[in-house]
This record gives sequence, C-alpha cells and structure tokens, in this order.
Amino acid sequence: MRGMRILLSCLIACSLAFAAIFTAGCSRTPDDTLRLTLKIPRTGHDVIFDESITQVDQVMEIMVQDFEKAYDRPVDITVQVFEQNQYDSAVADVFDTPDAPDILYGDYFNMSTYIHSGRVVPLDDVVTPQVRQSVFDCLWDMSTIQGHVYMMPYLGRQNVLAYNKELFRQAGLSRFIKDGIQSWTLEEWEQVLDTLAKNLPTGSFPMMMYARSSQGDTHIMTLLRACGSDFFSEDGHFALSTPEGVAALRWIQEGVDRGWFPPHAENLEIEDCSSLFRSGQLAIYMVNNASIGRYEDTIGLVNFPDGEGEGCATTFISGFEVFDNGDPEKVQVAKDFLAHVYNSEELMAYAAGMLPASQAAAEQYGDDILLFDEFLENRKNVVDFTGSNPDTRAIREIFHKRMYDLLIGHTTPEETARLLDEECNQAIDEGVASSTLHE
Amino acid sequence: MDKRRYIPAFAAATVLLIAAVAIYLAQLSNTVAANVMSTVDEISRHDVETIEGALDNCYGRLESIAKRMTVYDVETIQEAQEQLNLEAASSALFNAVYLMDEEGVLYSSSYLKLSKDQHTYHELFAENKDHFVLAYDDVNGKLETTKESLIYGIRIAPIVIEGKAFTGMLGRSDLSTIRDQLLIESFDGEGISSVVNVKGYYIVNSSPATDLSGRNNFYDMLEAGHLEGGMTIEDVRRNIADGMSFSVNCVTAQGESLMLSFAPIEGTAWSFIMQVPMRIFDERFTPFVTMTVVMLVVVVVLLVGMMFIIYRSLKRTVSANAESAARAEFLSTMSHEIRTPLNGIIGLNHLMERHMDDKQAMEGYVKKLGRAATYLLSLVNDILDVSKLQAGKVELANAPFNMTAALENVCDMQREPMAERSISFITSEVHLPYPFVVGDEVRVEQVLMNILSNAVKFTPPEGTVTVSAGQALEMSGYRVRTTIRICDTGCGMSESFQEQIFDVFTQERSSTDESQKGTGLGMSISYLLAKQMGGSLSVESTLGEGSCFTVEFATPLNAAWRKAALETNGANATEGASEGNGTSGEAKAATATERTSSADAMTPDEPSDEDNGPVRLLVAEDNELNADIIESILTEEGYEVVLAADGREAVDAFKASPIGSFAAILMDAQMPVLDGFSAAQEIRALNRIDAESVRIFACTASTFEEDRKKALDAGMDDFLPKPLNVPLMLAKLKEVKPCVG
Repeated sequence: MRGMRILLSCLIACSLAFAAIFTAGCSRTPDDTLRLTLKIPRTGHDVIFDESITQVDQVMEIMVQDFEKAYDRPVDITVQVFEQNQYDSAVADVFDTPDAPDILYGDYFNMSTYIHSGRVVPLDDVVTPQVRQSVFDCLWDMSTIQGHVYMMPYLGRQNVLAYNKELFRQAGLSRFIKDGIQSWTLEEWEQVLDTLAKNLPTGSFPMMMYARSSQGDTHIMTLLRACGSDFFSEDGHFALSTPEGVAALRWIQEGVDRGWFPPHAENLEIEDCSSLFRSGQLAIYMVNNASIGRYEDTIGLVNFPDGEGEGCATTFISGFEVFDNGDPEKVQVAKDFLAHVYNSEELMAYAAGMLPASQAAAEQYGDDILLFDEFLENRKNVVDFTGSNPDTRAIREIFHKRMYDLLIGHTTPEETARLLDEECNQAIDEGVASSTLHE
Repeated sequence: MDKRRYIPAFAAATVLLIAAVAIYLAQLSNTVAANVMSTVDEISRHDVETIEGALDNCYGRLESIAKRMTVYDVETIQEAQEQLNLEAASSALFNAVYLMDEEGVLYSSSYLKLSKDQHTYHELFAENKDHFVLAYDDVNGKLETTKESLIYGIRIAPIVIEGKAFTGMLGRSDLSTIRDQLLIESFDGEGISSVVNVKGYYIVNSSPATDLSGRNNFYDMLEAGHLEGGMTIEDVRRNIADGMSFSVNCVTAQGESLMLSFAPIEGTAWSFIMQVPMRIFDERFTPFVTMTVVMLVVVVVLLVGMMFIIYRSLKRTVSANAESAARAEFLSTMSHEIRTPLNGIIGLNHLMERHMDDKQAMEGYVKKLGRAATYLLSLVNDILDVSKLQAGKVELANAPFNMTAALENVCDMQREPMAERSISFITSEVHLPYPFVVGDEVRVEQVLMNILSNAVKFTPPEGTVTVSAGQALEMSGYRVRTTIRICDTGCGMSESFQEQIFDVFTQERSSTDESQKGTGLGMSISYLLAKQMGGSLSVESTLGEGSCFTVEFATPLNAAWRKAALETNGANATEGASEGNGTSGEAKAATATERTSSADAMTPDEPSDEDNGPVRLLVAEDNELNADIIESILTEEGYEVVLAADGREAVDAFKASPIGSFAAILMDAQMPVLDGFSAAQEIRALNRIDAESVRIFACTASTFEEDRKKALDAGMDDFLPKPLNVPLMLAKLKEVKPCVG
C-alpha cells in the first residue's frame, strides 16, 4: 500500500513536471520567436514590374519576408487573407483573442472605424521626416486625426466615370468622346444621358445605378454632388438638405423616369452594373486607374458631375494600421515592420500599378502606369467622400436603403435628404461620442 | 496451509475477471465506435436528405418563377427581364434569375445578356436532364458575381417572347444564402459537415470564402496531411467522382486525427462529408468505460459483500446448529451419565432397606454404594472442569512445586490398584533433573492421574504400565519442558477412536467392562489442561497391543533453582534436585506389589503417640450429617473433635478453648451466621498466641482456584475440597503437630 502511494506520488510529480515544461513551451517558443499577424482583405493588385503578382497579399508576403530577414531578432509575421465583406469577423470580432490582427492592411474607409476604437496606435514615430517627405502630401491628410498619423498610406486608386465609346457612337454622342479625363457640365450630362436613353439599342442602358447593397455606395454618394452640393458640412456631417443636395437627389430620381438607368436599378448591385458595362450593355460606369487597363481603348473617362463643370473624383487610399493588443513588444515590432517598408524604395515600389503613395515610386514607374499623369493631374478634383467621420460603415448601412426608397419613389428627394441627414448624422455623432483614440 | 490452497483459485478467478473485463471493454469500445459510426451515418443521411430537400426546394422555387412568367403580361424580352429582376429582388433565395432561350442565349434579371458562346450552361441540359445544380465557376461562363454561388437550372415548358422560345431557367444564389440551411453541426459542434464538388471545392463549409479566388479546396487539406488505412487521395477523388459512400481516416497538417465519412448527394456530382475528430470517439468511449468500471467495482463489491454476509450467516447457522446439537448431545450424555450412578444409588438404597439384617449383603451394597458415589463425584468434578476449560475460565495456579514429587505422588496412588491386578509398574526411565518448577501442581497431578489411572484401568492383569519422564531446559534457561510418557499393554485403541479420544464424552464402545467405565471426560480435561499449561497431550496406540500417552508441560523454573541450575550448568543441579527432593532420581524398577509398603506410607497413620493425649480438632460444619460423618471418621482415627454449627460458634469455641488446645480447625466455607472465611479472619485476629499458629483447613465444595485463593487470603492454611478425600485429609492432619497445652 505504501509502495502504491509512493508510485502514485511519483506519477503525479512527473505529470506536474511535464505539465510545467509543456506550459512553458506553449508560452514562448524555444527559439524565442515573436509571432505577429498581418490581416488583409482579398484584393486584386497589379505591379508594373512583376506580372506574377495578382493579389495584394502577395506584396505583403514579400514585405514580410524582407523584414524578417533584415530584423535583428526572430519574428514570424503571418499574412492572413479575409474576404472584403468580412472586416467585422476578421478584425472587430476577434479583439482580445489570439486571432486579433497586429497589423491591418486595407482601404481607409473600412479601416477608419477601428481608429476610433482606441486600439489603433499612432504611428508618428514611424513617420520620420524622411518618410513624410517620400509620400505625397495630400495622402497624409486622410491619415491624420487630431494631429496624429493613424494610418500609413501605401497606394491610392482614383475613381472616375467611364463611358463606352461604341455605345456613345451608336447613340450619336461621338463628340463627347475625347482623350483624358473629361468634366461635363450638368447640362452636358443630361444631354448625354437623355440621348443615350433615347438612342441606345434594347438591352443597353445609359448609366449605372444600384441600391441593393452598400457595395459601391461611395460612387452614388459622389453623384449627389451633381448639383453643386458639398455633401458634407465643414464639421463632417451630412448636408444634403440643401437646395443643391435635394436637387441632386431629384436629378437622380427623375433620371429613373427619363430612362437613364437600368429598370428597377434599386434591385441591382454594383457587380450587376459592372457586368453590364463589361458586356457592352451599360454606357457609363465607374472605373479607377487600376481597372481601366482591362478595357483598353473601348472607354473614355469623365469626372463625376459637380454642378460647376469642373467635375469631381474620389480616391481610395489603402495602407496600414497597427493594433495594440496589450503586448508592447508586438506593437514595437509592427512599427518596425512599417518603418522597414516605408524606408525601402523597393518595397514601396510594389504599389506601382495603382497610384503609389511613394513619390519616388511614382517618379520611377509613372510613365509605365496607364494615364498616370492624367490621374495625377485630376487629383485637384478629388473630393473626400468619407467626411473623416468615425463610423463610415454605419453610414453605408443607412445610405443604400434611403437611395432604394428614392429610386422606387417611396420618398421624395426632400424626404430622402432629410432622412439621410438625420440618420447618417446620428451615426456620425454616435461614432464621435464613442470614439477613443489611442495615445 | 489451507489459505494457500485458495491462492491458485483466487489467481485464476482474478485472471478470468481481468480477461472478462478486457474482452468486455474491447467489445464495449467496438460497440461505442460502431454507435458513433452509426450516429455519423445517421447524421450524414439526415444532412444529405436535408441538402437534397433544400435543392428540391430550390428547383421548386425556380419552377414557380417560371410558372409566374407565363402569366405575366410581358411582350418583350426586356420586360421579361424586368419581371425577373422583381422576382430576384423579392426572392430570399436567388440573387439573380436567368431565362435561357432554345438557342442557349441567357438573359438575366440584371439585364445581362450572354450569348451561347459566352457560357456553357446550356450544355448542362444536353443530356436530357430536367435540372442541375453546380457550384459557380466562371469556367462555365462569367456571370455578374465573383462571389461563391450555386447555380440551379431547370428545364421549363417553352415560354415564347418576341418569337423566341425560352426553355430553361437558371437561378443564382450566394452560398452564404443557403449555407446556414445546409451546414449542420453535430457532436456538440465538433463534427463538421461539408459538401464538395468533384474538383474538391466546398459547396458548404464551416468557414466559407465569399469570393471565387479565395475558395478553399478539400483536397488541399488532404494533401497537407495524410490518409490512413492505405487509401490515397486519388482513391478519394475517384470515389467521390463515382458517387460512392465511404469513410477514411486522415491526419491533418496540424496533427489532428479525423474520421471522414462521404456520401453522394443524389442529382448532383457532390459528396457530403461528415468530419469528426477521432478524439470524439474516445470522449464518447471514456464515460462508458468509467461507468462500466464503476459499475463492475460496485457489483463485485456488492457480490463479495453479499457472499460474505451469506457466508457469515451460514457459518453462524451451522455453528449455532452444531452448538445446539453439541449442547443437546452433551445434556443427553450428561443426563445419562448422571442418572446411571444415581440409579445405582437408588437401587442400592432400596436393597439396603430390604437387607438391613444381612450384614454380608450390606457390606457388598455399601461398597457398591461407595463406588457409585465416588463415580458421581468424579463426574460432577469433570463436568465442571470441562465447562470451565472450554470457557477458558480455568485459572491455573502459579506456585513452586516439585515435579518429581508430583509424579511420585500420582504413581504412588496407583500402585495399589496395580498391585491388586498384578500389573507390572516400571518407572525406571524417570529423569527429571529440574524438578523444581512453577505451575499448578494440582492440575499437573490431575492430568497425570487421568492418564495413569486410564492405563491401569485398561491394562489387563499381568500387563505392564511404564512411566518414563525427561526434562529439557529451554534456550533461555528460564523454562523447562517436562515430557512424561505413560505406556500400557492394554487393549489399545482403534485409529478412529484415537482421532476423537480427546473429545468430550468419548469412550471406546467396545469396552463393556464395568471396571473400565469412566466419565469419558478425563482425557478431554487432560488434553485441555495440558494445552492451557502450554504443553500438549498426544497418544500412540495399537488396537490390542496397548497405548502410549505423551504429555508435555512447559513450566518456568523455580527462581532459586534456576539460579542454581545456571551456576552448576545443569549437572550439579540434577544432584541438588535429587537431594532437595529427598527422592532418588535414579531408575527404579519394581512391581507395584513390591512398593505397596511404600504406598502405604502415604496413608495416614494413627495419631502420633508422641503427645500425651489425643489431637484436638475444631470442626465447623453447618450440615449436621456432614458434621456427624467427619466427627465419626476423625474420632475413629483417634482425634478429639469439637463441633461448631457455624462460623460464630467456631470462633467462640476457639476463644473459649485453652491456648494450644486445638491442633487444627476444619472450617466449612459457607455457613450461616458467619461464613468460614470471616471466621478464619476473626480467629487469626484474636489476641492469643495460638491464633496465628493454629492450622485452619478450608473445607468447601467450591473447588476452583479462586476459592482456594480466597481461603488462603482469609488466613487459612490449606484446602480440603468437598466431598472430602478422607485419606488425603487424614494425611494432612497427620502432619499437624498436637499443641502442647
């Protein structure tokens, strides 16, 4: 009996020892490698000098490998790809779990929400004077909140409208076919659209319109500047209940009856319009500098209408955020990673294919980027479609529904303007109220 | 030794039990595994039916749309597309709906028009299929979405619009729309169901991609890990393509062991996969094992407990029955044994009444009466002894005594009977170098007397009784082992009787000689006494030749003698013992007849004439008859007797007597007014010179050791048990010196 007790005691002791060793092994790898996670939405990407790259996560892998090789301590950064419509499950839903991202790469209008969660650390120490100087000045504006840089811009895509040259010709609008990025007056727009509606063959439609989901809603928002509305007030609130705002809404609602859009466009998604445009059934659709290559010379470019004839465009900025998950060591390594990327001309050059944030890359590869100069020149017409509000995604969930009601005639332009202002501004105010910035 | 006999049986039972448990657990494991597999199959069947039902539902919805299209008032294809647009918008299932004309041109609810050369969906109807479903793959034609979707197709009754006959309808549904309907978790979320197509792309998965470019492939998972059981990935591909049901075990790249169960989904080229971690099997099995082991332990403990209780109950019953039977037999025997001499006494009494005048006859009756009374006395004594011995209540005396003297005494008491029957008595082999020991002399003599008297009793005339004795000092030097053998040339005993000779009331039945009749308790008493004294008693006997009893006593040496023995290393102690005893330790060989004079020396003589007058004795006895008898005996022996009816009278008589006038007092223990013990104490307490020196004999029917001790403690000098052994009493009184008045 006593022997059994001794044996049992030994077994328990051994088990505890093994458990201790095992637990120790779990908390820190034997080689002391620090592990980080970089998350990125699945996004197509082209690089001028590397045709093998088709997805932006491939660029991230190159950056990570270069950093891991150069860094003075063992680190392992895992690149995890998620779907574009799964930001919540990939980021917000996994806060405070082992799956939380340490670094996030994505579009600003999706990422801005996280800044106000207080988890995104300011990156001022990464933005050295040299780094600041290497990036186009205008890109820092969208990255800076209350004087601190929370996002590091890597590239931009400028969104403008495109027209199908062949359909224009068929409709007798050849005179509107010009090189470069045009800007039409509102009258010209109405002339073009009315002509297209009248002359296009059955099964073809003048211009994109959709409201079934939030996807692509920023382009519809931009259309609401057609009658001269600034869309946002100076403090970043919706300001559509103005004569210009209501006029733009009426312009769109009347466009339904004037045959400017596919029938029942409220039931369409941006992908439907994209398919129609690609198949030559839609005359006017949105493109960006990265996507125009696929259409070759079949399309011409024109800014969104702005009521003044200058036209306007939008820019999607993509870049990095660093999250504080409670491990200062990881935060520092993530910052070091960004410092490594932004101090490397070679890695910054992988943005060449879009509109690189790096001036050096733009200079080096600008000539090879389709219509690079035109888009560069058109930056003067770029408008901020986010209003720097803290919860863009909440606004998007409201916007397409109100536009749906407008398109089917459930609400008047005035009602739509009022509802958009009320609901979206409430979302903005709630976002501001709940905003916490990491210091 | 008996216990060892059970070890093999116990070991065999244990091995059998372990083997049975092992077999049972193995069988249980198989059963649980089969049960889990059965559950997996059941869930698979259920899921497959669910999926097939969901697909049928989708076909049905498409058919409903097609039927409604026939009733809509549409004149152009665009109007038809607008209706499709509204149908898709109102559908919770379809993101887009398509009409296909007989030439294969596809018209969508979002107004997209795909010519026959832009897609291959029309080919899916080529084999006269009424419907199909497939995972969206732009290989079949690029539709409006890049999301993972399912494409359903049904053949419809032709709808003619603008002269075109539409014979097919397609519906596109995001996988996320139908995923929740098809994804069924099992085993508390550990079992994951999924559906893959022939290419391995997931139709339904727990972590789906939403974009075609990000979709996962089932075979990637298999290739990252490895399959078990000899099946290859190609085998899996082939089985899925052939629409087979099968299962395979695999280990993932993360090292997790999985059981994959495949089942085809009717009407599709898909395979349903139920993925269950192998640890689920263990987790399901463990509670069964635990419960089984606990139950087995409980059952075994209960069985053992019940068997123990039953065994004890049976044992008690058997024991009680045996005790009852023994008690009944004992009482029956006792009754018989006691009634026999009583019957004789009663009969003799009757005869004596009738022959009062026939002196010769009276003498014979009186002798017979004496023998019957003696026998009755010995029977009562023996019964009491047996009862006390069996109850363990006999307290042995622990006083110094002379073993040689005790043996001599016993021998002497049997010399006369032996002489009467011309039995040769040989004591030449008696060597007792350590005669002075500590123990219960009376009980030792009782044992020896029992054996020796039996030997005499069963030895025929002219036979021989031999007594031999020896001693050995134990290693410690403190104890001596005395071995005494008493052999006779008597009738001997059968082997069967030898086995029960030491049981109560046993006598060889063949014996019919009245002279050999005894109580049947003597040997039992001797055996029990020998054992209680740390010795033993055994017998060797041959029927018709004689018996030989060997008795051993282990007794401490008398302290003085032990010292002497140690100092003289034993040899001299022997001489000292002989000298101290005053009895020769050398071999003696003489017939009992020759020793008769010696034996006579033990009998009381006439009162010594050294005194001027008769020895005066005070007898305190409340029983008038006993008092008369004692007075008569003592008077006949020449003593002067003064009677006292109780203790008080005795004390008074002693007080009143001249100093030294009483040589001794025979004091009955139990008397009215004042008992013997108190009377003795009062006498000892008297302030007269002879109060301390007068010898007081306790005369009592209470013969136990504690009675003896009580008498001595009360100041009495010796003990004479009742009924009185007259020769012994006279012998002891002879030693009393008459006092000088």
